[in-house]
Amino acid sequence: MNWLNGVFNGLGEVWAHKLRSSLTIACVLLGVASMVVTTGFMEGLFSGWKASIEESGGLEKLSSGYDVVPERQRPLTSLSPGLTLDDARAVRELIPGVRFVSPEIDLSNVQLTRGTRRSVQRVQGVENDVFEINRYEVALGRRFSDLDQRDVASVVIIGSKVFEDLFDPQDDPLGQYINVNGRPFLVVGLLKHYELFYGSYNAMERKNSIAFIPVSTMAIKLQNTVRLTWLNHKIEDVGRLDEAVDAVQNLYYHRHRGVLDFRVDTQQQQLSSYNQMKTAFVLGGAAIAGVSLLVSGIGIMNLMLASINERVREIGVRKAVGASPFNIFCQFLAEAVTLSLIGGVLGIGVAVVMIKGLQEVVPPGSQPLLVGSAFVVGFAFSVTAGVLAGIYPAIQASRLDPIEALRYE
Amino acid sequence: MPAEVLRLVGVSKRYRMGENVVTALADANFTIYEGDFVAILGPSGSGKSTLMHLLGFLDSPTEGEILFEGKPVSVLTESARARVRADKIGFVFQAFNLLPRLNVRANVHLPLSYNSIPPADADERVERALARVSMTARAFHRPGELSGGQRQRVAIARALVNEPRILLADEPTGNLDSHTAASILNLFKELNAQGRTIVLVTHSPEIASHFKRRLHVLDGRVEEHTA
Repeated sequence: MNWLNGVFNGLGEVWAHKLRSSLTIACVLLGVASMVVTTGFMEGLFSGWKASIEESGGLEKLSSGYDVVPERQRPLTSLSPGLTLDDARAVRELIPGVRFVSPEIDLSNVQLTRGTRRSVQRVQGVENDVFEINRYEVALGRRFSDLDQRDVASVVIIGSKVFEDLFDPQDDPLGQYINVNGRPFLVVGLLKHYELFYGSYNAMERKNSIAFIPVSTMAIKLQNTVRLTWLNHKIEDVGRLDEAVDAVQNLYYHRHRGVLDFRVDTQQQQLSSYNQMKTAFVLGGAAIAGVSLLVSGIGIMNLMLASINERVREIGVRKAVGASPFNIFCQFLAEAVTLSLIGGVLGIGVAVVMIKGLQEVVPPGSQPLLVGSAFVVGFAFSVTAGVLAGIYPAIQASRLDPIEALRYE
Repeated sequence: MPAEVLRLVGVSKRYRMGENVVTALADANFTIYEGDFVAILGPSGSGKSTLMHLLGFLDSPTEGEILFEGKPVSVLTESARARVRADKIGFVFQAFNLLPRLNVRANVHLPLSYNSIPPADADERVERALARVSMTARAFHRPGELSGGQRQRVAIARALVNEPRILLADEPTGNLDSHTAASILNLFKELNAQGRTIVLVTHSPEIASHFKRRLHVLDGRVEEHTA
């Protein structure tokens, strides 16, 4: 009953002092809106990061590569054949739970030319599993065939950036030849175009600036080596990741004759650095929210103190007709909370409009998201601000001496 | 013998003002019975407002004890005293003290927000109190739209709405012209005739002459004069 009265009184006060109240409400509104929009931006960023981890293979991916041989093993280095295509075969045959195996030989700064056009890109010798592990999609044409691998065929699948550099947009690249370091290769496929923008930066551009050729072709025709740059695997069950890492390490240890010239990475590290970044952002957001809370709180407290000052006599009358100090406390606290709730609800409304607007303008990837948790936080925020800022003035009001208050002019 | 409502036993009130101690009330002893019609008479500064505040427990005595319905008030907490005010005491002020933002009805309803009268009952009580002071027609006006006499009638309705054991009025006619003052005084007389216990503070001997019992306050001393 008292709380409800307080809410009505609060609305009455808001109405009676329109300018003063609207300024205070504006404080809360801006605080809540900035918080909800910031949260929306953070959520957008997080989901972008998550997507980029997914796009680079997800958590089930293991990545083996070279590592520096430890000091004490230096003299033994030549005993190890290094990471080779045979390792890939061994992993495929011997390690249970491995679904995809992708041996990769990287070659950077490769000259890709077609007529007078030229593009300098990374070329990877791969097998078809690379499409599954690193999540590439062939948009046009085909993947490699077993025959391509066996025949050391000069065929290439190009990324959208390579296509853009070497062809006109309306061209059909399939069946055309391009030169890879001077050797003619037949284009058999075109990869999907990837984009995930942070501002004007496309985080997925790496996936467009690439050309794939069969790993056997890379080994024999371009590199003259069977040593792999990467050996990527994807396991079936992410819950058995540690087990798989152990098994793969054991296998290499064996095959490399005890020379520790390899390492096995998981996306776990990336995930943990992602989580660290997320924590940093959340803390930053919390700091912003804290400042907004403070500003709104000061606004509300200022208004409440001014309002109490004007209503000393009212408080005296209420006490004389039977209001206890607690009744007065409740009344003024409810008024403060009412004010901040109005600000909170309006703030959430403004935030929704802002986020919708920004989604239209901001490129995908850094768009803010409308998230339910942000509204809950915004709502809780305004109530907290109201309660915290309302307590002190409400105590002041409840402690007024009724005789003094009745004498007050 | 009518029931006893308020009894003061050796009540004194002293204020400290810097170095000096001011005695506002010294050793007051009197009893107010049910159905009493009492005027507290004295010049300004004589201590009659202090007495009024003590009678309504808005203030506590320095010495002595006030008994309400035979029970000592000093043992009650501030909230408990507020509760007694909400249930059993009605206040009427010289300056009316209506809340300007509330309409007449809401002003009269105010004491009922602080006691446990159920809402359905409350509406009926407000109607009855307004009818009693002939202000039903103005129920939805703001105090600012009423004349002084009308405002005081509303204030009296507010004091009556909780059916108080005692009605305390502090110079209720002080801000009114003589004609209006007379009608308010008549209203108090009618209420007393219906059995309401009324204590009225005034500085005017003319007004006090209408009362059955008169308590003269002078320099903090209370003396009883019976008509």
